Amino acid sequence: MNRTGNRLAAGGRIDHTEPLGFVFDGRELAGYRGDTLASALLANGVGLTGRSFKYHRPRGIFSAGPEEPNALVTLGTGGRREPNLPATTLELADGMTAESQNRWPSLAFDMQSINGLFSPFLSAGFYYKTFMGPTRRAWMFYEHFIRKAAGLGRAGTEPDPGRYETRHAFADVAVVGGGPAGLSVARAAATAGATVALIEQDFLLGGQLLSERPDGEAAAWLSAVEAELTGLDNVNVMLKTMAFGTFDGNTLGLIERRDGPTAEGAARQVFTMLRARSIVFATGAIERPLVFSNNDRPGVMLASAARTYLNRFAVLPGKKIVVAATNDGAYRAAVDLAAAGAEVMVADQRGAAPASLAADARRLNIAIRTGSLIADLRGGHAVKAARLAGPGSNLEVACDLVCLSGGWSPSVHLSSHLGVKPVYRGDIDGFVPGGFPAGQFGAGAMMGCFSTAGAIEDGHRAGTEAASSCGKSAAVPVPLQLDLGETVAGPFRAIPSTGRGKAFVDFQMDVTTKDIELAHREGYESVEHLKRYTTLGMGTDQGKTSNFGALSAMAALRKATIAQTGTTTFRPPYTPIAIGALAGRAVGHHCKPIRRTPMHDRHLADGAEMLKVGLWMRPYFYRGAGGDVNEAYVAEMRMVREAAGLMDISTLGKIDVQGPDAAAFLDRVYANGFAKLPVGRARYGVMLRDDGIVFDDGTTTRLSETQFFMTTSTAKAADVQSRLEFLLDTAWAELRVAVTSVSDEWAAMSIAGPKSRDILGAAFPELDVSNEALPHMGFVEAGFDGRALRIIRLSYSGERAYEIYIGASRGERLWSRLLEVGAPFGLKPYGVEALGALRVEKGHVAGPEIDGRTTLDDLGLGRMAGKRTGFVGEVLRHRQAFLAPDRQRLVGLECIEEGKRLRGGAILFMPDDAVAGHGRGRITSVTFSPELGRYVGLALLGGDVATEGSEVVAAYPMRAETVRARIVSPVFLDPKGERLHG
Amino acid sequence: MVEPLSFKDFNLEAADCPIVQTEGWDGTLASFEASVSKALGAPLPTAVGETVRHADVLIVRVAPRRFWLISEAGAKPPSLVIDAELGCSVLLGEGRVRLRMEGMRLPEILSKCVAVDWSSPAAAPGRAWHTAFHRIPVLLLRTAETACDLVVPRSFVRSLADWIADSAAG
Repeated sequence: MNRTGNRLAAGGRIDHTEPLGFVFDGRELAGYRGDTLASALLANGVGLTGRSFKYHRPRGIFSAGPEEPNALVTLGTGGRREPNLPATTLELADGMTAESQNRWPSLAFDMQSINGLFSPFLSAGFYYKTFMGPTRRAWMFYEHFIRKAAGLGRAGTEPDPGRYETRHAFADVAVVGGGPAGLSVARAAATAGATVALIEQDFLLGGQLLSERPDGEAAAWLSAVEAELTGLDNVNVMLKTMAFGTFDGNTLGLIERRDGPTAEGAARQVFTMLRARSIVFATGAIERPLVFSNNDRPGVMLASAARTYLNRFAVLPGKKIVVAATNDGAYRAAVDLAAAGAEVMVADQRGAAPASLAADARRLNIAIRTGSLIADLRGGHAVKAARLAGPGSNLEVACDLVCLSGGWSPSVHLSSHLGVKPVYRGDIDGFVPGGFPAGQFGAGAMMGCFSTAGAIEDGHRAGTEAASSCGKSAAVPVPLQLDLGETVAGPFRAIPSTGRGKAFVDFQMDVTTKDIELAHREGYESVEHLKRYTTLGMGTDQGKTSNFGALSAMAALRKATIAQTGTTTFRPPYTPIAIGALAGRAVGHHCKPIRRTPMHDRHLADGAEMLKVGLWMRPYFYRGAGGDVNEAYVAEMRMVREAAGLMDISTLGKIDVQGPDAAAFLDRVYANGFAKLPVGRARYGVMLRDDGIVFDDGTTTRLSETQFFMTTSTAKAADVQSRLEFLLDTAWAELRVAVTSVSDEWAAMSIAGPKSRDILGAAFPELDVSNEALPHMGFVEAGFDGRALRIIRLSYSGERAYEIYIGASRGERLWSRLLEVGAPFGLKPYGVEALGALRVEKGHVAGPEIDGRTTLDDLGLGRMAGKRTGFVGEVLRHRQAFLAPDRQRLVGLECIEEGKRLRGGAILFMPDDAVAGHGRGRITSVTFSPELGRYVGLALLGGDVATEGSEVVAAYPMRAETVRARIVSPVFLDPKGERLHG
Repeated sequence: MVEPLSFKDFNLEAADCPIVQTEGWDGTLASFEASVSKALGAPLPTAVGETVRHADVLIVRVAPRRFWLISEAGAKPPSLVIDAELGCSVLLGEGRVRLRMEGMRLPEILSKCVAVDWSSPAAAPGRAWHTAFHRIPVLLLRTAETACDLVVPRSFVRSLADWIADSAAG
């Protein structure tokens, strides 16, 4: 057969008429449509594709699927770089750029391959033992270098310009795996009437059938079934889609890759959460390697992979080939490779080869050495010879490819994700699923059914059962038969053979037989401990080719059976997935949804600098008040104290509380009483958690005997709503109360300052807003522009103030109206920075003080509860620890050093204390007070030292600052409340 | 509020969504339902997710004891006087916006945002259900084979409409 490089002139499933250019490590190479990156590299004679994790040993392509441990590449450049991708799973695309990993300065000459010389010191757990001294802090020094040396590919640091998508999908039956079993499942389930999602990680359907000759009966069967499925409306074939995890509720996590050029704006990868009524796992099996010295050399690959490269990709990966086998299946690879022109020898560990296979082999001049195994390999960047050991003789055989076939391991990862442990089956010497949750099934090789005919039959059964479990039971035609004549002898456990060179069990993590022996000597007998000590199976390949070999080795060392040894736990993801795919569209401005108040546009038009507060956008400050926030907030504070300011408080949580038992409910929810609150009055209230810690505060207004209007802090709005619903559903289901979030119903604004009443009167001349008609904590209801209007006289700033609520659709109109009529009085809007500063001056606690650690007494609010009982948190608020004399409590601080300032978060010390450690307390909130002409703040300070008039030292280590402050009352302004009551 | 969107096979427009929410107490639910039914002159949906259209009002059972009476934009919502011993009602018309969407691409576009099995009987035309859209609670009303209304909190409407527009565009 004519060929160029390793590529045959004809054959395979590639399109020989469509060449594709690609770049690997800077070299421009060519492949064909239908290639994977791995097949194209092999076709170009590229045998060295990567370096190993720890010893930086040269490695080549080992498999033809997602189990690949060696040929990991970084795909793309710049922001599109994606590391650690198996070249064996990447569909070749024109212009594809890939590079090898874990090497410097080049793949051929890697400086860190010197690690191999130090390998006696780099055994399993070496860093646990080696880098522990001389001091306890030494690890911190070593860690930097270890981390730098460790790892494989490096992700890019530039923003990824690509787009990723997430979506939800549904099906009656999800079939994972598009091999003969999966295809048979899909056909049966679909014809039974079920909607079917057929998931295949490859870009072609067929699974192991793709390794058969493309002109044989397997190909004919595949074409027929594929055509039948394509013609069915109820089958959704999802190619290039990896099922990476199985989750509760029969949900599969899927990632579809779209490598290569994509349409403008199209997603590079799509993350699908597929919810199915039934799942059938037809995930096949993974061929096991063999363990012997230097079994990791480039040019060593699984026998099934060699057959795949030959029959699917028209690549003959070697000319002189040794096939090391423990089973009949390897002979199929040997025969095909020999038929393609290679010189092939089979080293079969078994004492005899089945006669029919031996006869086939001899016809093609394949040498068969039974009872032989490979003891060692010679070669550096490529294998050059294999040393065979067997009865009577040792023999060195020159070769450029070594194919390994140590049997098959059912791929049970996905079926184990929900916690069902696989069980060992002696007749196949492998693990199969230990059972399935309701609605899940298995078929084919993953159930230990290794013949094609058997897998098809098994798939038909599973498909019929899966459809039936969804209530789809239409008549199903008999399965299309396909018998490839595979012979399956009894299981033969591969014999490890180790000489002077390293014998690898886990190729990706560089775990050798000696590492496993060491772990055993050091007492690691549990397979889970072995895994963690040696890092076996912890690479990106999750030990797909190493798991069984390691278990065998450990079982032998323990003189136990494999069933007794057990397996490690399989967890998602089955293969690495890009974080971007999980994020999907939720990046940039879509990272979180944004909440806008009804007056949002007006704020922007008025020059507001907006601030994200949780999900809300709020005016931080207005440019008209100052060039920066520090200038503006002080000016805005002055405006409120001297005239009036208008604040958007639409972000407050608002809850409608209704029902005959609403007052009783609130009486239990709040630490202070609400049962006797008169209609038309508001009250400040504090809620506690069950453990006596303050939960949230706000005001509640009684609208009628059975209806209340509650406000909460912006931050806790959802939590309070959820908490109230929880209490009504569980603790007090007998109460006839409905709670409804009306946060979005009402636009809310607060007008504060000495001129606020005048402005209110001008805006609503028909309303009596006098002190008598609308006193502090009073409430009136009116209308504006056809919508209900609620005015509650409340103050957060310490000034006379009114909260005004209007239907959200009229919020901006009312805001504009107030600014218009208030302008002659000096009314302007102000932002949250000034709002926060005003409340600090007044000594009102807020989020920094209600931080989930403070009690009513800590905040100076203990008298609100008094001796009341029967409210949430009442019992535990009296815990002994909460009454300790040195418990931190709220104090005010004023800066007493000229030219210095207080800072939020500063740690407080007494003047004689050493400035170290956690101190006596901390500053929670700070502002510059224009009224007092200095920085003031609220703080939580140990009660044993919190004496008004005493001095403290506030340390701010981030800036290496210390400043002296005096302890004062937390109410800096108007302690008698004359401003707000007048 | 939100600019209308028009793509091939997908259209979106936003409108106000007058809603009256009414809820009965456990123990007197039958009396409450009879009272509301009489006041509206129509039977009430019997199961959560079911809807009944009566005159200009769509009655949706959104929870076992809770109903939403949804009117078209600009229409006056029905006035209900509920005996406090049986239940209560509250207006929600200012805080919700209706995103009305239709077109052949609707299932594909919404699949990027909402976990809805369009072929499920629970999502058949005429059904309604609470779900999460970008973690925001919304009510989805399936109005026809390829049309639905999404009733979303007003403060989120621009953000969610922006998300849908991006989904429709790419």
